Amino acid sequence: MATYLPKTGIISWLTTVDHKRIGILYGASAFFFLIFGGVEALLMRTQLILPNMDFISAATYNGLVTMHGTTMIFLFLMPLIAAFFNFLIPLMIGAPDVAYPRMNALSFWVFLFGGLLLNYSFIVGQLPRVGWFAYANLTSKVYTPDHSVDFWILGVQVIGLASLISSINFFVTIINMRCKGMSLLRMPIFIWASLVTQILLFLSLPVITIALVMIATDRTFGTGFFDPGVGGSVVMWQHLFWIFGHPEVYILILPAMGMVSEILPVFSRKPLFGYPVMIYSMTAIGFLGFAVWAHHMFTTGLGAWATAFFSLGTMLIAVPTGIKIFNWISTMWGGQLRFTTASLFAISFVCMFTIGGLSGIMHASPPIDYHQHDTYFVVAHFHYVLYGGAVMGLFGGVFYWFPKFFGRLLSETLGKLQFWLYMIGFNLTFFPMHFLGLQGMPRRNFTYAPDQGWELWNVVCSVGAYLTALGGIIFFINMIYSLKWGKEAGADPWDGRTLEWSLASPPPEYNFALEPQVSAVDDWWHKKYSAEGRKHSAPPYQPEVDPTTMHLPHPSFWPIVLALGITVMASAFFFAQWGLYIAATGAAITLIASYGWSYETP
Amino acid sequence: MKIPHLCYSVRHFLNSLLSANDKLLWLLFSALLAWLPSSLCFGRYFDDAPLKFSPSLQDSPMYTLVGITDWGKEIMEVYGLTTVILCLVFLAVALPTIYILFRFRARPTDAALPPQTKGNHILEIIWTVIPIILLVIIAVPTWQSIFRQDAAVKNIHKNENALRVQVIGYQWWWKFVYTDYGVTTANELVLPENTPVEFSITSKDVIHSFYIPRFGGKIDAIPGKINKLVYYTPPLSEDAPAEGDYYQGQCMELCGLSHALMRFETIIRSTEKFQAFLASHNTPPRVATQREERGAEVFNQCIACHTIAGTLSAEIPTEKTGPDLSNFGSRRTLAAGTRKNTMDNLRAWLKDPLYFKPGSLMPKLELTDQQIDDVAAYIQFSTAKPL
Repeated sequence: MATYLPKTGIISWLTTVDHKRIGILYGASAFFFLIFGGVEALLMRTQLILPNMDFISAATYNGLVTMHGTTMIFLFLMPLIAAFFNFLIPLMIGAPDVAYPRMNALSFWVFLFGGLLLNYSFIVGQLPRVGWFAYANLTSKVYTPDHSVDFWILGVQVIGLASLISSINFFVTIINMRCKGMSLLRMPIFIWASLVTQILLFLSLPVITIALVMIATDRTFGTGFFDPGVGGSVVMWQHLFWIFGHPEVYILILPAMGMVSEILPVFSRKPLFGYPVMIYSMTAIGFLGFAVWAHHMFTTGLGAWATAFFSLGTMLIAVPTGIKIFNWISTMWGGQLRFTTASLFAISFVCMFTIGGLSGIMHASPPIDYHQHDTYFVVAHFHYVLYGGAVMGLFGGVFYWFPKFFGRLLSETLGKLQFWLYMIGFNLTFFPMHFLGLQGMPRRNFTYAPDQGWELWNVVCSVGAYLTALGGIIFFINMIYSLKWGKEAGADPWDGRTLEWSLASPPPEYNFALEPQVSAVDDWWHKKYSAEGRKHSAPPYQPEVDPTTMHLPHPSFWPIVLALGITVMASAFFFAQWGLYIAATGAAITLIASYGWSYETP
Repeated sequence: MKIPHLCYSVRHFLNSLLSANDKLLWLLFSALLAWLPSSLCFGRYFDDAPLKFSPSLQDSPMYTLVGITDWGKEIMEVYGLTTVILCLVFLAVALPTIYILFRFRARPTDAALPPQTKGNHILEIIWTVIPIILLVIIAVPTWQSIFRQDAAVKNIHKNENALRVQVIGYQWWWKFVYTDYGVTTANELVLPENTPVEFSITSKDVIHSFYIPRFGGKIDAIPGKINKLVYYTPPLSEDAPAEGDYYQGQCMELCGLSHALMRFETIIRSTEKFQAFLASHNTPPRVATQREERGAEVFNQCIACHTIAGTLSAEIPTEKTGPDLSNFGSRRTLAAGTRKNTMDNLRAWLKDPLYFKPGSLMPKLELTDQQIDDVAAYIQFSTAKPL
């Protein structure tokens, strides 16, 4: 049946199992949700621009706090990272596709429907108002009687399912589908970052899955896991949430680190400094990332020994992180730096991430954290890590790999304009937040009084946010412009080092006509340059062949149907009287889809 | 280069959007651009207090970089040391980076590849070991501080001079109970100078966080859990007003709609004045005028939630969900530290509490303006205690 499905048009996008197309779908959805997250941030910054503003209500503000955090993490950063995982992992390891192409499609559709489910709360006007960390018992039926928290729980649950599916898929792909000669210690550093990220994902996501089920049953059936009135513990939610939530931070930053580690060598024309040490440090960060969750909870009164232990563990993470920063600097040292937009973003990643990392060491010391916790200092800290760090690194990746995705370069002029608007806007927004934090301004406050002395830096923050928004608009213009009129990229526009640059841009559906044979790290670079550093006149680009002769997985519409079934089941929670019927309908769709999927001709 | 149809559909779609509807697209963009500055016009600024736009961090009553208790001072020592070390580390990263950006640019004269350095074990060991040493320098005073505070909490029961105060968070106000004196008050924490205080902090509903920046760090008020905090209160400052020194505190954990409106004031007084506060707190209100008398009548509608010591309201045995108002007239602020305690503000609050505090349990009362005026006079004037 599947062979009858068309190769172009809307239907082909709905049924595709091609990892490159799924990558593009992930990227497009990520930027779609970025508009949501960005506008949410702008609304909040406008509300806070002066004391006692009445621009939006307290309920809306608390809703926007929650949706901004949840959207930026689960609906922008993670899918954008997934876009790169999808597109790049098979190309970088010389594989024809991911290990489970249909599961890959499933994870995308589950993610998209989950994101829409979460944002459906806007349409029904029940924004979750509990923060992205959703601390119990504010989430209980007593303190949030409407369905807003259910939207959050089930949206995140469904999105988490998508990440869980794709993490297993990518893990298997990286372990099993590398081309000839690509031993683990010859993998591109981005693939190493991906590998560690997948492990973090499938170890941490089950914890939040369970926690979300517990809170859902608390709300729906009154189980009382987090209800102190019946012997539950509200602190237990915090433990469960952060056992997931802290590795999640590394899930967001490690891929960006991997990208920067790919981009800096290319634009310095030097290999990555200390490749094995970079791998050890990434693995160490991933490992330690599971032993530090309670540093989010120093003020809950953990007891002296627990506080001291988690403080020490958190400080330890600074060591591998510091190694990475100095290795990036050494990679650039002595090189021939080309300042393209991609390299500018990558260099700014190193600088901004350093600032975020250093303020992180401050919170690692509990006495200091007792002051900084839940003030704007923390907001400044994690935006330096996740925005100045992860987002800047990812934009570097977007500018670097866009030509591989679409065959055309993004405009460098618009790109640099965006970069400087981002740099100035970002620092204008978030550096003064350190000051606000030192002035004791609490986070998640929908307003503040004029007698608090906070107005100057809040104005500066808001102006910075508007500049960033302008940069974002320019980026969208750049994407639309470059897709049509951008410069033709050719196979290897940056003089790249990894396998994907040996392919045409965009790569053909079958990826590699000939299975590549790898004999070193950055093998493509060594194929282009002689040992003396002279460039060969004709590097061995991959040949192009008739796609019909290549064996490829067939498109299938079962993944999208299955994803729909799962989402319908999840949405049953919102409709008290119809819930059972909707759940049954969703379950039926899921069952039929699983059955059809199982018996589909391959 | 031939473009495979892989990306054709996306591009085709975007192209058609731009060529057919480019006017619409530009309209959307300009609308968004116009929206950003004009959004300010929709905001309403409803307070007369002048805006200072002060660049000085210390102008905030919540300024965190001062510790005036023993614990607060100890934290500041760790804080200062850590900040100095981290600034040095920042320079160690920033200076080489800036140097690189100028020194190692690609130049048109570059003929060969730069030296293809793959790593350097000695360097890498150096920047593994030095951070570890720096972290140990930070960790030692950190641990000392953690365990000293822990010991202070464990040993406080041996100190007979210690004052015990229960702090209970409610959505969105604070209850303070002086357990040994049978005094319960709200939103104004009165403390004697130079006294060890043991705070037992908890919450009646959701998680709050108890924080007086100038005294030290914050600790969460968690339902079903009691957190302890111990420190010596500071001495009265030299230019202290008669009412004592005021220090602002605030809830720091998202606790629902009006989380931003959950402040409180801490007042340090001399020991005598503190004793006077305790002694006078539970005395019955002094109703002096007819207006206040009428107000006392009206107040009988409030007694399910509020208490004024020495009146009928104090005889209701159930736990009250609203703040104790026994010394309301002496307080500087109302609505959990967010408004000045004036007749106008009190009347406005009574007229529409939800305007000042969204989501508050305090309902919009079915009272005439006359009744509001009376009851405001009663709780404002009759409950003022002599200092």
